[in-house]
Amino acid sequence: MVKVDNLVKNYGDFRMNISLEVPDGHVTGIVGKNGAGKTTAIKAILGLIRPDGGHVTVKGQEASKLTGAQKSQIGAALSDSGFSSYLRVKDVICILRKMYPQFDESFFRTNCEKQGLPLDKRIQDFSTGMRAKLRVLTAISHRADLLIMDEPTAGLDIEARNDILDLLRQYLLVNENCSILLTSHISSDLEGLCDDIYLIHEGRILLHEDTDTILSSYAILKISEDTYEKLDKSYILSTKKEPFGYVCFTDEKQFYAENYPGIVIENGNIDDLILMLTGGK
Amino acid sequence: MRGLIEKDLRLTLTRKQTLLIFFVMALIMGVSMDGAFIVGYLTILATIVAVGTISYDEFDNGFTFLMTLPFDRKTYIREKYLFCFLMAAAAWCVGTVLCFIGNIVRRSGVSMIDELPMLAALLPVLYLSAAVMIPLQLKYGSEKSKTVLFLLFGAIAVLLFWAKNIFSGTNNPFMQLAKTLDGMSPAVVLLTLTGVCALAAYASYLWSTRIMEKKEF
Repeated sequence: MVKVDNLVKNYGDFRMNISLEVPDGHVTGIVGKNGAGKTTAIKAILGLIRPDGGHVTVKGQEASKLTGAQKSQIGAALSDSGFSSYLRVKDVICILRKMYPQFDESFFRTNCEKQGLPLDKRIQDFSTGMRAKLRVLTAISHRADLLIMDEPTAGLDIEARNDILDLLRQYLLVNENCSILLTSHISSDLEGLCDDIYLIHEGRILLHEDTDTILSSYAILKISEDTYEKLDKSYILSTKKEPFGYVCFTDEKQFYAENYPGIVIENGNIDDLILMLTGGK
Repeated sequence: MRGLIEKDLRLTLTRKQTLLIFFVMALIMGVSMDGAFIVGYLTILATIVAVGTISYDEFDNGFTFLMTLPFDRKTYIREKYLFCFLMAAAAWCVGTVLCFIGNIVRRSGVSMIDELPMLAALLPVLYLSAAVMIPLQLKYGSEKSKTVLFLLFGAIAVLLFWAKNIFSGTNNPFMQLAKTLDGMSPAVVLLTLTGVCALAAYASYLWSTRIMEKKEF
């Protein structure tokens, strides 16, 4: 569905060089710290910026040359951009009706009501959560087979985040073949939704792994200095010095559980992945 | 395209109170003042309002999302030129009707048929203002473009002043042009003027398309 092949983008000192793929029917997540290049990747996929090198294709078509008809199959929700805040939701409905031949007005209206989005209020008077819900609803209301979401839950409280994630889950239930690419730095959002995860740091992909593998095989090892000296470090991805000894990050939890029964092993998650692979030594 | 026009129309209507005040002012002027001022006033006002929708698109990082919607960059530019024309044409029609009503109320005795070619000439000429403003706004943004426009008109004023001093008396090519135009029928003048303005607007459209194609969001 989406193929990013050696995408190069330079912004002053920042250089991005990544490759990634979103297969048909997959939910793929991109995680990374602020400024890692997540939004740049999303913008390149949506054809909003020109790559300095490499290729970005969406459904086989170069992203920068996507036609209106091809774009109508894509639903995008961006973290800091949406319809003009001077408009009302009822204006947005009229615009979407004319923009997208497949616009599902009754779905949009029903969900606006469910999510507490008043039709007559200007978007500028909406809360952060309401704006985020509107952006996601806009993206999923025209039966797109590719959703691209940049930080759809950033800055939201737990309830609003769950509402948005529920909307996406429901969309996936109804549209089984839909692909989703989403960025987030909230690990729990991605763990519950994504099939695979890319970890991006300083414009490079550090890791690509299935979410299930991250949750089942990756782990944090907490070990004393003595044990650390004797430890087989073949499967240690990253190490951090702590007052009590060392914290190590591994992708072979089972190996250390079987061979070093005395050490503390905590199940890994995406937060650990970010912290240990982008900040560990 | 239809979705974009709908968006611009709705964005324009968000300023309906301001528009209403302008319209009431136009109504008063149309009844009380002579001539075609009202037609020009409404047409240029509508053009400025229409070009102003680019500021709304630009505001709050809006372009980024807008460009993910189902149209390409060329379509966006085409729609802006079309929307400005539709707005200018609608305002011209309203202005012309008001002008004629004003003539009837004042019993000025001016023939509507005689005045129509002159009024019709206002539309392509004033539409040129959109053709100047659209590429400037796209290239420099809504704030900087005002400065550029100010500098541009300053340069034109200096140029005209210089031209006035250089070409004087019988040497003046502008006077010769005016004399030539005087000798032509109003229909030919109108057609020529429309043709020249259309060419200029097309050149502006090509420039805007180029700016848009190069833009990153």
